[in-house]
Amino acid sequence: ILSQFLSAQNTIQGTVTDSNGIPLAGVNIIEKGTSNGVVSNFDGFYSIKVAEEAALVFSFLGFVTTEIKVTSSSTQNIQLEEDLESLNEVVVIGYGSQLKEEISGAVSTIETKDLETIPQVSVDQMMQGRAAGVNVTTNSGQPGAAVSVRIRGVNSISGSSEPLYIIDGVPVPGESEAGGTSPLNSLNENDIADISILKDASATAIYGSRGSNGVVIITTKRGKKSKGTISINSYVGIQEPTNILDVLTLPEYAKLQNAINDIYNLDPIVEFSHPELLGPGTNWQQEIFSNAYIENHQISFRGGSENVNYFISAGHLEQDGTVLASGFNRSTIRANIDAKINDKIKVGINLTASRVNEKITLNGRSDGIIGLSLLNSPAIAVYNPDGSFAGPSLRDDFRTENPIAKALSLKNNLRRNRILGNIYAEFQIAKNLSFRTEFGGDFGTILNNQFTPRYSYGEIQVANNTLSVANNYNDFWIIKNFLTYDNTFGEKHKVTVMVGTESQESSYGGVTSTDGNFVGNDFPVLGTGDAADNNTQFKASQALESYFGRLIYSFNNKYSITASMRADGSSKFSEGNKWGYFPSISGAWQLSKESFMDDFDAIQNIKIYGGYGEVGNQNIPNFAYGSRLNPVNTGLGTGFLVTNFANPDLTWESSTQANLGIDFSLFNNSLNATVELYNKVSKDFLFQFASTNFATGGMSPGAINPPWVNLGKMVNKGIDVTLNYKMDYDDNFSWNSTLTVSHYKNKVTDLGDVPQINGAMNINYDGQQNITITRAGDPIGLFYGLEVEGIFRSVDDFNGAPIQYGRPFEDALFGTTWLGDIKFKDQNNDGVIDDNDRTVIGNPHPDFTFGFQNSFRYKNFDLSVFLQGSYGNDVFNGINRLLTAGNRTYTNQLSSVLDYWSVDNPDASAPRLARNDTRNIEISDRYIEDGSYVRIQNVTIGYTLDSKISEKIGFSLLKIYGSIQNLYTFTNYSGYDPEIGSYNQNTLLTGIDAGRYPSPRTFTIGVNVEF
Amino acid sequence: CDKEFLDRPPEDSFNVADFFQTEDQVVASTNALYSVPWYDFNENTIWVFGELSSGNCRTWDPRNADFVNFAVNGNNAQISRTWEALFAVVAQANTIINTLPEAVNPNVPSGVVNNALGEARFIRAVAYFYIVRIWGSVPIIENNADIVLEPKIARNPVEDIYRFIREDLEFAVANCYPKIRGANYAENARVSSGSAKAMLAKIYLYERNYQMAYQLADEVINSGEFKLFGGDGADGDSSGSYFDLFIPENDNNPESIFALQWTSSSRYSEGNGLQSLLAPSGFTGGSDGYSAIGISPDLLQAYEAGDLRFYATFMERNAFYPNLNGGYVVPDNIDFQGTRHGIKKYVVGADYAIARDDGSGITSTPNNTYILRYGELLLIHAEAALNGGGPVSSGVESFNKIRRRAGLPEIANPTLDDVFHERRIELAMEFEFWYDVVRQDPATAIAFLSNTDRGTYNSDTGELQSEFFQATMDDLLFPYPTVETQNNPALLEAPVPYDFK
Repeated sequence: ILSQFLSAQNTIQGTVTDSNGIPLAGVNIIEKGTSNGVVSNFDGFYSIKVAEEAALVFSFLGFVTTEIKVTSSSTQNIQLEEDLESLNEVVVIGYGSQLKEEISGAVSTIETKDLETIPQVSVDQMMQGRAAGVNVTTNSGQPGAAVSVRIRGVNSISGSSEPLYIIDGVPVPGESEAGGTSPLNSLNENDIADISILKDASATAIYGSRGSNGVVIITTKRGKKSKGTISINSYVGIQEPTNILDVLTLPEYAKLQNAINDIYNLDPIVEFSHPELLGPGTNWQQEIFSNAYIENHQISFRGGSENVNYFISAGHLEQDGTVLASGFNRSTIRANIDAKINDKIKVGINLTASRVNEKITLNGRSDGIIGLSLLNSPAIAVYNPDGSFAGPSLRDDFRTENPIAKALSLKNNLRRNRILGNIYAEFQIAKNLSFRTEFGGDFGTILNNQFTPRYSYGEIQVANNTLSVANNYNDFWIIKNFLTYDNTFGEKHKVTVMVGTESQESSYGGVTSTDGNFVGNDFPVLGTGDAADNNTQFKASQALESYFGRLIYSFNNKYSITASMRADGSSKFSEGNKWGYFPSISGAWQLSKESFMDDFDAIQNIKIYGGYGEVGNQNIPNFAYGSRLNPVNTGLGTGFLVTNFANPDLTWESSTQANLGIDFSLFNNSLNATVELYNKVSKDFLFQFASTNFATGGMSPGAINPPWVNLGKMVNKGIDVTLNYKMDYDDNFSWNSTLTVSHYKNKVTDLGDVPQINGAMNINYDGQQNITITRAGDPIGLFYGLEVEGIFRSVDDFNGAPIQYGRPFEDALFGTTWLGDIKFKDQNNDGVIDDNDRTVIGNPHPDFTFGFQNSFRYKNFDLSVFLQGSYGNDVFNGINRLLTAGNRTYTNQLSSVLDYWSVDNPDASAPRLARNDTRNIEISDRYIEDGSYVRIQNVTIGYTLDSKISEKIGFSLLKIYGSIQNLYTFTNYSGYDPEIGSYNQNTLLTGIDAGRYPSPRTFTIGVNVEF
Repeated sequence: CDKEFLDRPPEDSFNVADFFQTEDQVVASTNALYSVPWYDFNENTIWVFGELSSGNCRTWDPRNADFVNFAVNGNNAQISRTWEALFAVVAQANTIINTLPEAVNPNVPSGVVNNALGEARFIRAVAYFYIVRIWGSVPIIENNADIVLEPKIARNPVEDIYRFIREDLEFAVANCYPKIRGANYAENARVSSGSAKAMLAKIYLYERNYQMAYQLADEVINSGEFKLFGGDGADGDSSGSYFDLFIPENDNNPESIFALQWTSSSRYSEGNGLQSLLAPSGFTGGSDGYSAIGISPDLLQAYEAGDLRFYATFMERNAFYPNLNGGYVVPDNIDFQGTRHGIKKYVVGADYAIARDDGSGITSTPNNTYILRYGELLLIHAEAALNGGGPVSSGVESFNKIRRRAGLPEIANPTLDDVFHERRIELAMEFEFWYDVVRQDPATAIAFLSNTDRGTYNSDTGELQSEFFQATMDDLLFPYPTVETQNNPALLEAPVPYDFK
């Protein structure tokens, strides 16, 4: 028997390669059903003794596990197929990557192939609805505009709550740039290979001081060992405006003006004496909105040999805005190259250069193009009969400008050139020890040209033209050095240790020059105008120095622990407060790998993980700890104004976060679920103290900005759920759906001695108004104002009614309360209505937000449908307040205003018309609306030509697709768009609609070919 | 890395702690107190009190009409603008008052330091003088850094605010340079010890301490520091006239006691914005010329025939101004706010108008805004004397100096009403009249305000449509900005006596 057994032993040997014939080292080769196994060497060679009729199993990370029957031949060369699915299982975590199953922090990844056909110009917009716990709000439909990204709630009151972006190792802050544009819109979305979103502190602590708002790591595509491919992706499309507000037509406007004229005791306007005879007048919204064109073209080359891989791309995008004279175009080139110099040294470069041109339309305020088009009188024509622009009459105290004239004659162009990238060298010092050094940079110039020509529209005459040119730059560099030690002991103890240092410096500045009184409007050039030239300059720099380390230990692929520590020294704080320390620890348990789970088939791949970490925030202006003097011009020569109050004690905002998560799969891995719970506590948050205006001078030109302080404590608790269902029914049909649902609850638990923080804004040009309140015990930024009980409709209603703001019940046009006025609720029952009767009237925080991505494939067709939405958040409709005030001459209003109270219209829905002093426009729940919505964000249908056919005509891939972006929004919100975000990214002013640029509906068709 | 890597002081401005190293720096430190912080008040709101509420002017503009008909509430944007601007002046002055003594290099002569401190305290006093006259009781702030983090701050009584103002001015009298205002106008720009004395005389007048008011005004007159531009007496300067006071070249003429010092910069807040609001449309070369207010029938009727000041203050149809825009004929349809007139004072011509560099088409000019000039000091002198503060004859002489310059006959025995009238006309469109009305006894003030015709004239026929608005006791002070009472409810509680150091 023994001899038989011996004779049955075979030695099998051979080489393992990938599909391109490149040897694969480290492949596990096991005789099936035994513990007998070997590992392939550096040349891919293996040799194993096996029993007769045995089977060999070849497994290697990133490749399909392959089984072969041992045949009589003793040589078995084998090619392993790359496993595209399992490639996704390696997740970028910052200064390294980790197997998904071993990750113990909260990390989401976004499938970039879902994004390729979406006509959005910046990556942050594309993340909307794709990852649980990541709440993205597009604040404006302007091409390239900034968005608010909130990862797991709101962390800071006046420090920024935008996450940190790491693009190929280069940190890019998420705060909006000049003109409210997104810092990410210069990145070509087609170049992106993957997006990892680090959500909890145990994941972001390795980014220390900048990790408190979450970190988004964007990695661009790289070359692979393969024959070269050329890929072309192009789409063209039309964007159309989605929504138009119902403002008054000329006859209605005339009727309203006649009534307002009576209130102001003005002479009647002769032209309006018979409103019913007037034509419809100018529809200003129709004049400024129009269909607009979008196109995007991209070509890339990708390939590699044994030692050099490359990815090279070029792209161009051209997008006109749906609002007159707005637009965006971008050209990008990229080269990502990796080269192996020898067995020990690998080097590479990622480099992208981009140019973005933007035409900026004033937006978001009542003097923006949209605000002007809403307020402007329909009695004014766009053009005079002679073709020149028309304008307001002498009587109009507001001089509402012709928005068409303004849009077409004012030029405000922004050009941004940017080079972003890094180079690296990686040294294999020893078998398990590597050293990587990276030098990254982000260098940009921003050129802003604003020209106001000489013009005259109606009574507005500008005899002098002016040119303002701003030339700004930013230079950012970063140096990173880190060692990684990676080893497995006793087959089960896997250890990865990383330690490193990093230094970064950002310097920026700019010069603004102005000139005016040019001879013509055609070639304004600085220095050629007659006006006195004026130059101003600014410059500043900031620096961060860091030391960090991380230990990842995993045992038997079942248990893993990650611990990290970072120390950051920041120039933002004064001596003694510069350094912050940010530790974290987390662990994961692969429950399903326990032997006691072997018989439990209902649930697969259960992983339970949790972590705790501390991160910081230093996102405040430079030298906020000191007080500075800014030069100004005065009649006595150069003078100096103090700009801010000092606070030498200023230090890090710290945030601690605990995270608990579970991943599991059901139904043979077809349903994958992730549920994560978190508790995030920010304390000593950075806050620009809300001082009284008499202490600071408020918004006045000589005001001294209040000091930045560390204050209070805030808690965000939440739950993020991701459900993914995928099913390949057969080769012809597959289905894949992902639902993400995010819920957070924000609560300010401590504000120190401060009783409340008011969120104030000059929303309708009637001075600063407190709109939100933040108090200990409540969420941040609740809407705060009076509650409306109704309208005083009869004299009986005055009986026992509280006196409102000291205004007697008396029949007069101003200074009184009379029939038709709003009746406010006496909250404190003191018998009078005053500021003490304000109360919480709304909550801008949603109950939950969600995204629902569905893709279906049937034979060569694929269909994707993406929905996203928000539920339970309130919106303060600020533009509505202006458009329903009913208290001003020469101002257009919503048509609902016509139903104003009068003796003849006692059941009116709107209050009486009034003078400017009316209390009916107090901040109240009249302006609060439900901002819930569901949006069909994208529908794409594609057809991929059968590869056999496409190969015959020379393509390896040929796909055509059509897509509709922003197809329809289900909402009860009456404004342009319920997706509001934070005004100027200010957390205290979240959900306030000041006249948003509506997002367009976009129809595109595109083609994607590879050869 | 070395330590300096993480040390990043400002690169385009001074660290306050490092400033005040040289004499030049100390001198320049007060420059901005004469302009930028005053910008919003000067351009947009100084006239809503001085001219609109007083009844000197009228408007249809819904935003400002509340000041004509006593319907102003704390939500009015003009109220918060005024509040913020005046307290910004206080805050900037306080920074110098509190930082300079500690931070200054000991090599800078103490006289230079004290003069700068005197200027800062003078300007703080003037800002508080406006504040107390507009709102009455407010918090006294000596050092903003002490209170900026306090959520609740009590207000102080009016008497304490006046005492605070007096102490500032007394410091300025003692520490500012004495000087003689000469023919080199640029050297007259800063306030002097005599400027402070003149301002202090005005404060005493408001406090009805006529003896002190008279005495100080008399000292200023006798010092010979200031001259009446176009006056005929020993204190007259025959090189100018009342009209010439408002020509930009004559900024800081010998009549000027304290004036805001604007510049021809295209940057927001550095020039004088008054012309932008007060000129006719199309006049400035910019998109402004808002004709924001117009003369009320009451003021129009108050002018005596032959008063030279009318032409320098308001524009009549078809009047000719040779030095405006290369020769300006007032259009025969000019009709500011239904008044058939335009405004001349502070309308200085398109030649001086600089368009703002922000593309708004709004312009500003470099000419000064008078806060106190010698003409007014003579009337303070007269009023104090007539109230028993000094020899009546000397007061009457001061009074008639003003009459003579205006081309009007002398009044041998003027009454207090005559002085009131003369102040109204002399200082029309210099934004003082409201305070003159309300410092009378309340009943007189209310009666005056309620009987001031704020109506219109038909543009074509000239027919008068009178309009009167009833004032009440509450209207003599203005409401605090609503945002501010919400932020600091202590403003609505009883004033607390100030703890003077």
